[in-house]
Amino acid sequence: MKLNLILFSLLIVFALVKINAHHLYRVNHHALEIEKRKTIDLKDEQNQLLIQESSKSGNGRISEYAKSKLKMNPPEKKQKRIIK
Amino acid sequence: MRSKIKKNHEFFELSKFRRRFMLLVLLTLFCILFSRAFFLQGMQKDFLQQEGFERSNRNIELYAYRGKIYDRNNQILAASETVRSITMEPNRVEFKKGDKNKLANLLGIKIKYLNKKLKSKRNHIYLKRKVDPKIASKILALKIPGISTEKDYRRTYPDQEISAHVVGFSGNDGNGLEGVEYKKNDFLSGTHGYKKILIDARRRVVDNLSEVSVPVDGKDVHLTIDKRLQHIAFQSLKKTINDSEAISGSAILIDSKTGEILTMVNYPSFNPNERMRTRSPFVKNRVITDAFEPGSTMKPISIAAALEKRVVNVNTKIDTGNGFYKVGRTQITDTKPHGVISVKEILQTSSNIGVTKIAEKLSKKYLWQTYSNFGIGNLTGSSLPGESKGVMRDYSSWKARDHFSASYGYSVSTTVAQLARAYTPFANKGEIKNLRLFKNDPIKIGQRVLSIKTSEAVLKIMESVTEEGGTAIQASIPGYRVAGKTGTARQFVKGVGYGKPGERKYNASFVGLAPASNPKFIMAITIEDPSKGSNYGGVVAGPIFRRVVAEALKIYSIPQDEIEIKDETDNEKKEI
Repeated sequence: MKLNLILFSLLIVFALVKINAHHLYRVNHHALEIEKRKTIDLKDEQNQLLIQESSKSGNGRISEYAKSKLKMNPPEKKQKRIIK
Repeated sequence: MRSKIKKNHEFFELSKFRRRFMLLVLLTLFCILFSRAFFLQGMQKDFLQQEGFERSNRNIELYAYRGKIYDRNNQILAASETVRSITMEPNRVEFKKGDKNKLANLLGIKIKYLNKKLKSKRNHIYLKRKVDPKIASKILALKIPGISTEKDYRRTYPDQEISAHVVGFSGNDGNGLEGVEYKKNDFLSGTHGYKKILIDARRRVVDNLSEVSVPVDGKDVHLTIDKRLQHIAFQSLKKTINDSEAISGSAILIDSKTGEILTMVNYPSFNPNERMRTRSPFVKNRVITDAFEPGSTMKPISIAAALEKRVVNVNTKIDTGNGFYKVGRTQITDTKPHGVISVKEILQTSSNIGVTKIAEKLSKKYLWQTYSNFGIGNLTGSSLPGESKGVMRDYSSWKARDHFSASYGYSVSTTVAQLARAYTPFANKGEIKNLRLFKNDPIKIGQRVLSIKTSEAVLKIMESVTEEGGTAIQASIPGYRVAGKTGTARQFVKGVGYGKPGERKYNASFVGLAPASNPKFIMAITIEDPSKGSNYGGVVAGPIFRRVVAEALKIYSIPQDEIEIKDETDNEKKEI
């Protein structure tokens, strides 16, 4: 009778542990999914930044800025002097 | 007295009737419950299980990224960026005052279209796909019930029209339609995956179910294109075409040692980021698709054939007469009479009569074989879609006229890319190189088509073209020796022929090599019908070569040749 009671208690404990483990697994899995989504978002952001960097560092844009904002222009023929 | 008083347990004892009644009620309730359970678990099992699955299981698509396209310096030429698609559940939509107009304005759609969509009987519809994320967040800020957004991807080309012809573009479904996007579609596009997930009552993902297909991202493609030079070439071409009021132009710059394509530009061009791109008449990559009669740019090859066969040498004198020469019924002319000139001068002055007289000494078969060895009538190896082989009929069908006209670039047609490739033997001691656009493609060993001596001799002669007295002095680059050949060919129009004088259209071309001491770059340029100012290849295309190759020499740190540098200010001082 005593043994049966002990075994029954153990059964209850193990059942509770199993339920708790399953619950923890689901919580962790959910957290993992959130992290995975963050990874994808960061990857998208990285792509976005790479595209931005590529378009902003384009020669066309730089020369346009140099001419319009910095007033830089290639020297004319008369302004050139080649030193021997 | 005692018998009349009920005992405690007797007091609570039910009557027989009550007891039976209660038993009957309980039995009936049990029967109802049992039959309900039987009905649900036995007869409705499949339906209920299905409903349960639908509520707790979800299929999620796992997006596979399309590979990026890079230039040789790892600068992005094409990549996918995140955008939003605006979705609507028509049954749930409720507009507050003014929201409908705001939504239509933000999406750039008409109210009529929105109303039509609202009448849809479907539960989930797309209002607009691939919307800018900033606009999407403005729409979400309106907080219209039933309107939501979904993540989507759009292909973006930061270089816009500059590299449009090389890179191409892809359609809304993500598949490549033109250029590298089309050619390398299988390589670039990955395989989307999916997984089945279990969600709880709060719609949180709590487990992965067994069915999972892992997404495989597309691979990146690295081109041999140099974005910096591509920009310079495009701007130079654009300026020349606008200044000379030409119809169009194409140019290609290659590394003469490896055959790598450094720039490949066409103008007019199109913007691959715009939706109407497919309707543009300028989608074709004319560097490889459009064949034209190359004119005098063929002469170095004809002279190389004669030198190789030893029917002439560099100093052989040839009488070009008074600038008119008749072969059969065909009149061959020079721009002016040159009299008796050497083979070197024939190339320097671009004498048609001189080259014809040299070609007379060679058989049709030998000339045809030489042109074929130089890649005329063959693909260049760039492996881009739509490449033309050009036109070079078999020598057996050549008439007497074709024999001579081919020697100065008529009766055969080539693409700009073929022309650039045809000059690689002069830069590689007689070896022709295949063109290469993809960095990971293996370098093929060049094929010898000329002896070292002949290739060096022709290169030396071509240097005189960009020197004083040559036809392409505009292509010379201070500090470097430049070799090259101009071409000004009449355009053949179907039904009209070459046209009457004054109504003729021309293709102005130039193919150059620099530095001539050890050529690193070959650039071929053609401008279609320059109508303002000169239409000579040297005058129109020469400056493009000068601008682009001068920058290329600087960027790639190619040491200057040991030549005397003229001080441009000296002339000005003398004038004063």
